[in-house]
Amino acid sequence: MKIRTILAVTTAAATLAGAAYAESHGGTMKIGITQNNVGVDSYQTTYEKAFIEAAEANDMVETVVLDAGGDVARQIAQMEDLIQQEVDAIIIWPTNGEAVIPAVRKAHQAGIPVIVTNSNIAEQGFDFVKSFSGPDNITQGARSAEIMCDKFKDMGIEDEAQVVHITGQPGYTTAIERAKGFEDRLPEVCPNVTVVDTQPGDWNREKSQQVMEAFLVKYDDIDGVYAGDDNMGVGALNAAKAAGREGIIFVGATNFAVGYEAMAAGDYWGSIYQSPVDDAKAALQTAIDVLGGEDVPFLNYFDTPKITQDNMDEFTKPVF
Amino acid sequence: MKQGTLSKALKGGAIWGFIVLELVFFSIAGEYLSLSDKAFMDWENMLLLFKQSAPIGIIAMGMTIVMVNGNIDLSVGATFAIAAIILLDSMTWPIFAGLGDWVIPLAWLLALLVGTALGALNGFIVWKTGVDAFIVTLGSMLGYRGIVFMFNGENPTSHLNWTLVDFAEAEFLGFATATWFLLGVTLIMWFVMARTVHGRNAYAIGDNREAAVNAGIRVGPHMMINFAIIGFLAALSAVVFYSESGSVNPNDGQLYELWVITAVVLGGTKITGGAGNVIGTFGGVIAIQLLRKGLGHIGADTSTVNLVIGLILIAVLFLDKQLNVKGKEELRV
Repeated sequence: MKIRTILAVTTAAATLAGAAYAESHGGTMKIGITQNNVGVDSYQTTYEKAFIEAAEANDMVETVVLDAGGDVARQIAQMEDLIQQEVDAIIIWPTNGEAVIPAVRKAHQAGIPVIVTNSNIAEQGFDFVKSFSGPDNITQGARSAEIMCDKFKDMGIEDEAQVVHITGQPGYTTAIERAKGFEDRLPEVCPNVTVVDTQPGDWNREKSQQVMEAFLVKYDDIDGVYAGDDNMGVGALNAAKAAGREGIIFVGATNFAVGYEAMAAGDYWGSIYQSPVDDAKAALQTAIDVLGGEDVPFLNYFDTPKITQDNMDEFTKPVF
Repeated sequence: MKQGTLSKALKGGAIWGFIVLELVFFSIAGEYLSLSDKAFMDWENMLLLFKQSAPIGIIAMGMTIVMVNGNIDLSVGATFAIAAIILLDSMTWPIFAGLGDWVIPLAWLLALLVGTALGALNGFIVWKTGVDAFIVTLGSMLGYRGIVFMFNGENPTSHLNWTLVDFAEAEFLGFATATWFLLGVTLIMWFVMARTVHGRNAYAIGDNREAAVNAGIRVGPHMMINFAIIGFLAALSAVVFYSESGSVNPNDGQLYELWVITAVVLGGTKITGGAGNVIGTFGGVIAIQLLRKGLGHIGADTSTVNLVIGLILIAVLFLDKQLNVKGKEELRV
């Protein structure tokens, strides 16, 4: 309720600020977006649809929606075109977090604010970016820890439970941040739960299944599994099913359709819901706020709520 | 006689007519549909057009001589990616650590050498085995791409050097660095094809290989040189582009071979060899980039570019065929 109110207030403020901007510039805000690769997966396709809908619903905004098709050269050319067309702000979903930095610098030098969406560019480019709008992976990891701890408390095993941890691909920021969030938060909420082992599953279902098979042989008592995303979580679940081990609590992140289905079947406990619609709306709103002269935090996260078997009926099944 | 020159002029001019059509269409449509207050044919926008055409354009000049030769090279996209990796990675090699920014020309040279060698390897296999160039380069396209993925897995290879970026972003007489390279390569390849023995031989071999052999042209080495040229140009394209961006994804350059071939065919080069020129190819490259830019300018879905280019490609080939048939009928009379 409280969050709702705050949201309503900020939205209203943003609308006012936007109106002020539109008046002072004698018209609408022109916002250009260059996306990574629409059509390669349904997350990106849904994102584009939601972005266009959100922009059409707002009278003060006009958008140029471009797609780089995964090609860095085309994305850089699109950045140059948007600069040349003198749009008021540019939103970029980087095809490559480093290759676009010089193009982002060009926009910055031309006085056009740049907002990065979904996945951030490398640190060398931070000086040329107004804001990053996307998911907060540290919080996602922390929330997964809370979901798991709450379930252990319900089951009355919070003083003895043993957990194994399957991480994403080593070196990926998303993987590192989620692991950090989980490992920092778990001892705070459930100090007596121990993480007995951590291995990478490389975002891959088969790899994760093998990792879990090894865990099951090695440890007789496993009460919980945390996986860096649902794809790996379901891989681990399959391993446990095949070995006939029951009663293990599975928690993932980035709720995939497979994870949602496993939850509905009662095999999988919980995850983190990350909606491409929220992602797209947040990016557009960040751009509007920046143009309205508001103080936007450099890392502007959108909310990715907890989803468990208990509240899953509040969420629609993910499209990916 | 007069009719013949007319149809020839029509064929050669088709691509330029199409470019004019695009300019007119996007200028008018832009007035109504574009968010920008600037005209499509704004001078700055036209300068950008040349610059953005460079990555595909530079390779297309090499593809012209290879296709006139009666061959084709499908591996250019993968060669492009390998050269980019060599360029960016070599700048961080410990043996060059003491060089400071002098590592840049060395990295360029290495990338160009590797590209030339990969191209020459294609040519050598075509020469010695006699297997069709389509099959040989289809194999090397997959093989070279495999090397790219072996190098760094799925991860990008990155090295951002601001000195290099500043050089690549520099402008001289209003033209960006990449534009100068594109124009330079076009001029040199035009000279090679139109004014040298090597160039004339390329047409002769493409037109009738047997006759060329009988005339004493050493066909094998000749084709190998042309493959080395296109390998060099694919690497040059990578050098020019990645100097400005500093990071290469393992799938960069994918489908470039198809865009390059499309540009060359749009420009009037015969897919069977023996006819074509780099000026036409230049037109083909500009036409493709103009279409990409224009559709973005009027806010059309970017994916329509592929549909439109496909239709135009077929239309151009159809027109070419019609004009050729007419030419023959004239002769019979």
